[in-house]
Amino acid sequence: MRAVENYTFSAKAEERFKKLETQFPERESLVLWALHLVQEDAGYIPPSAISYVAERVGVSRSHVQGVISFYAMFHDKPMGKFHLQVCVNASCWLAGSDELEKTIENHLRIRPGETTPDGLFTYNRQGECLASCGTAPVVQVNADYHESMTPQKLETLIEQLKRNS
Amino acid sequence: MAAPLEKRIILADYGKPDSHTLSVYEAGGGYSALKKALISEKDKWTPDAIINEVKASNLRGRGGAGFPTGLKWSFVPRNTGKPTYVVCNADESEPGTFKDRVILEDLPHSIIEGMILAGLALESGQGYIYLRGEFYKGWQRVDAAIQEAYAKGYLGENILGSGKTFHLATYRGAGAYICGEETALLESLEGRRGHPRLKPPFPAVKGLYGSPTTVNNVETFAAIPHIINNGGDWFKKLGIGNEKSGGTKLFSVSGHVMKPGVYEVPMGISLIDFINETAGGIRPGKELKAVIPGGSSTPVMTRQEAMRAKLDYESMAEIGTFLGSGGMIVLDSSTDMVQLTKRLADFYAHESCGQCTPCREGSKWIADIIDRLIDGNAVEEDLTTLLSFTKNMGNGTTICPFADANVMGVVPIVEKFYDEFLYYLEKGKSGEGK
Repeated sequence: MRAVENYTFSAKAEERFKKLETQFPERESLVLWALHLVQEDAGYIPPSAISYVAERVGVSRSHVQGVISFYAMFHDKPMGKFHLQVCVNASCWLAGSDELEKTIENHLRIRPGETTPDGLFTYNRQGECLASCGTAPVVQVNADYHESMTPQKLETLIEQLKRNS
Repeated sequence: MAAPLEKRIILADYGKPDSHTLSVYEAGGGYSALKKALISEKDKWTPDAIINEVKASNLRGRGGAGFPTGLKWSFVPRNTGKPTYVVCNADESEPGTFKDRVILEDLPHSIIEGMILAGLALESGQGYIYLRGEFYKGWQRVDAAIQEAYAKGYLGENILGSGKTFHLATYRGAGAYICGEETALLESLEGRRGHPRLKPPFPAVKGLYGSPTTVNNVETFAAIPHIINNGGDWFKKLGIGNEKSGGTKLFSVSGHVMKPGVYEVPMGISLIDFINETAGGIRPGKELKAVIPGGSSTPVMTRQEAMRAKLDYESMAEIGTFLGSGGMIVLDSSTDMVQLTKRLADFYAHESCGQCTPCREGSKWIADIIDRLIDGNAVEEDLTTLLSFTKNMGNGTTICPFADANVMGVVPIVEKFYDEFLYYLEKGKSGEGK
């Protein structure tokens, strides 16, 4: 993970940002992209990154802060290494997402919005449909979808993630 | 492999190994429409000719609103002195809808070719694909496909030696359903909070960066190469119902069917045949109870209504619902309609952008009342209150159609399955629900 004090882009993020700068005629468009790059670097948006992004893009800090608070995927607090999101919208509920929520709560002893004390897992209910209704229920772990989930498969997945960390 | 009743045009390569790559797309005839329009039939394919062909196809916007695509393009003014933008709405997030994800992940070149053709029609040199942030794999696939297309000379300056230019870049949203509304999408693409804009002016005239812009759905763009290759009339006649609903359409079906998934069928086939034959029918031992036809914002149909429905825009409208995005949720006799309503009400309450009071407060009220009902704390007036204030939530009282979508998604369930809501009320009174 990248240092969060006095955050600056990693070399890889810097390279991508330079390319993005050529793709949009107005720099404001770079706000969301820059925040995605920060989050890939640091796992969340550390406070120091707000001024950094504002400066690099050329907008106010309040603009950046406003964008962060609007979009559910931008996190202004540190997250667990693995972010588990259970889709609880209609089709996943019909396919048994309730059981997946119970599995996480029983297995990891955390409630929605909480992180395990070892910092490994953060768990959220995802109310926004993840477009995995044909392979419901789905659990998103960081960027990856785990589809056609069952409580058994979810327990196995959690154990695997623990072992590989 | 095509399922019963399927007619695969857009999905022709779906399921083939490496269908997302340029070589597989080209092997199936990919980019041949672009070559026709730019080289072999370049005199024929003027901007107006492309727009007229799309008009003739009766292709209608596949994101959910169903507005005729050719007509939408014809509203974009040319020679304004400003750049014109072609934007792909890949913010698929209408609950129950998962068709665009298939195209993004498995058939990304069809979107790119469709967007370049749109660029020729509108004399635009720049396109953007706005993907919802959750679609990371889809974004990787689209991004890789764009790089392949640049390397092969389909994108960039002087495409295939034609002198035409079209650049394409991706943008990632970050978790906001409202950004599927096209003006909210443009706000987001400009780097701001996704607040819908007042219309008019419409994006055709004043869209991205204040310039003429067309915003079309993923599936809409994916249909364009086939229309240019085979003609608008051919596409129109793929539909077997009335002429106003042309072509094939992708339907994503989920819920209590044996074979959920994404299927491409001719417009106008019977809904019940689609459920029974294409999607494998209802689970054994259960009966069909209701169908949400086109994403959670389209009014639910009872079994009786579903039995006579056809999958096209007009016959859905006759029943008082919409074809929408084609995101179909099939519900069998085991479904608790109050619990289902809670899932939808919570979703809308969370996703209202907060600009307009009727929507921001109303969506929260709906969710609160359903919660009280389930917790056993509701009183009889709660249900009448819900049915009363929801009449004032949309209907032009708000900037965008979100509140209307919320009301259309929730209120018909309450009205058509009122007994189940009363049952929860009675359970609460007796203390059983608490």
